[in-house]
Amino acid sequence: MTEREDSLDPIIEILREPAGLRADLTDRVMSEVDRLPPPGIAALDRVRWWRRTWTIRLSPVRGLGLAAGLAVLALGVHLAGRRAGPATPPGAERAPEGQPIQFVLIAPEAQAVAVVGDFNDWSMSATPLARTLGDGVWHVTIPLGPGRYRYAFVVNGAIWRNDPEAPAAEDEFGRANSVVTVGGS
Amino acid sequence: MKEESDGALLRRVLSGEPRTYARLVDRYQARLGRYALRMLGNKDDAEDAVQDTFIRAYRSLGRCEGDGFGPWVFGILVNRCRTHATKRARTQGVIVRSEVALATASVASSEGRDALRDAIDWALKQLPAEQREAFLLKHVEDMSYEAMETVTGVRPATLRMRVFRARDELRKLLAETVRD
Amino acid sequence: MRLGMIPLWLLIAATPPMARGQEPRLLGRVPDPARAQVDAILDAARVRGLPVEPLLDRALEGATKGAPPAAIVAAVTRLRDELVVVSRAFGETASTAELTAGASALRAGAGADDLARLRRLRPGRPLTVAAAVMADLVAAGVAADTAAGAVLALAQNADDADYIAFRRNVQRDIELGASPAAALAVRIRSATDLSSTPGSETMPGTGASRKRKP
Repeated sequence: MTEREDSLDPIIEILREPAGLRADLTDRVMSEVDRLPPPGIAALDRVRWWRRTWTIRLSPVRGLGLAAGLAVLALGVHLAGRRAGPATPPGAERAPEGQPIQFVLIAPEAQAVAVVGDFNDWSMSATPLARTLGDGVWHVTIPLGPGRYRYAFVVNGAIWRNDPEAPAAEDEFGRANSVVTVGGS
Repeated sequence: MKEESDGALLRRVLSGEPRTYARLVDRYQARLGRYALRMLGNKDDAEDAVQDTFIRAYRSLGRCEGDGFGPWVFGILVNRCRTHATKRARTQGVIVRSEVALATASVASSEGRDALRDAIDWALKQLPAEQREAFLLKHVEDMSYEAMETVTGVRPATLRMRVFRARDELRKLLAETVRD
Repeated sequence: MRLGMIPLWLLIAATPPMARGQEPRLLGRVPDPARAQVDAILDAARVRGLPVEPLLDRALEGATKGAPPAAIVAAVTRLRDELVVVSRAFGETASTAELTAGASALRAGAGADDLARLRRLRPGRPLTVAAAVMADLVAAGVAADTAAGAVLALAQNADDADYIAFRRNVQRDIELGASPAAALAVRIRSATDLSSTPGSETMPGTGASRKRKP
């Protein structure tokens, strides 16, 4: 079965002609846009944008790796709790900046590690971890606004692993989760 | 000057340049307009749908992934067109297609090419909405089945069948016209 | 061009009914008809003023984990029901983060009245971490009512960092071999010693502990 046959070609050619919609369509859209708040003001949307435009490269964490990773995690969470928020006008929605939270997994046998969770739509491709050469310490740091985020690691796209350094969290789909909680309001 | 990618424009809008969104609107309105016109059958509805789509896209722009503005905004348009069709069917009564077909048929046209256009418009309207949708995305917008799955939420196997049936039906409906 | 008679079958609308607002992120990840059902739940939640993101996250989690579509719908429904209960306990001004953490606490076995009490003991202060710690303690093996009691005992005086430190200490003690109840008792005593004020909540006895729900 061929997808494209001669008798429909002239039809398709006509259908491909431009629609000839009104010339001021862009202007009409933009005048509406001018009245809207800038996009991404919602907490989670803003966090996703941060994730894409802001990366942190940490120095290799050989040997002390795990302890250092935990220290950053603990510090991040500690700072999240202690941080005093800026004054905001009454009624304005407070947009959290996001605390840098590092995820670490020791997996010397892995070719690829990703973290999936509530902060990235549980997407397998959104947040890959990087490793320093040879020592099997995989890591990534992402900014997270206040909240409780369940997550898990996926090794080589198929093997689910928990974070041994994090508390366990509820799961109802047959694959256990870990959880990280970020403080603030 | 090298043209900026969708992803680059998107980042600019999200980092505090809302007016840059106009460039994405310019870039995509022709394609969206063409699909909306063929899907909905008239310019007024198509313009409403396209404008509405760009506004909705702007509101949830933070959810758009990287360089994928095109398929993402197309997905929003496909949904708007579906909702529009359902709304119209509800308000105008069940047999909306025959009304539209009769209205189209009553427009007399002596010029050969216009008659062909009228016939094509009429034939498209005879298709069930999901077949029309699949046919337009595949043959007019030249999307791969994988891209169509993302945009419509329908599995490629089902989409192939709808395209096949749509082509079959259009060929039958337009057999006389094409032969003339 | 001749139109002739329009066959009846062409006139019968074959358009499947579509949910009104379709969430783009479900497309291609949750199969129909589950996707339409989840969309309906999201729409109804929106109308009710419940946060949609946690419900969407739950559906996407199920999708990534390869769960059957019926399980995804059931999970989203269950979370929606929990969010309703938490929003009553925490009040209209609760943030999405607070409601999500509260739902986890409920899932772990806390009662709605525990959550309402938490709100009363921490007026104007965020409840996210307190509720999250409640859930985390249960996950570490602490009985639900004990965990709730511990969090409430700290509610008036602990800030978020204190709660997180508390949870981490209890967890470490359990890993080092202490029973959950003992680990909690030790840590709550030291926490409340440092911060106790007259009239603060005291922890209920650990005698008849409710078994953690499977």
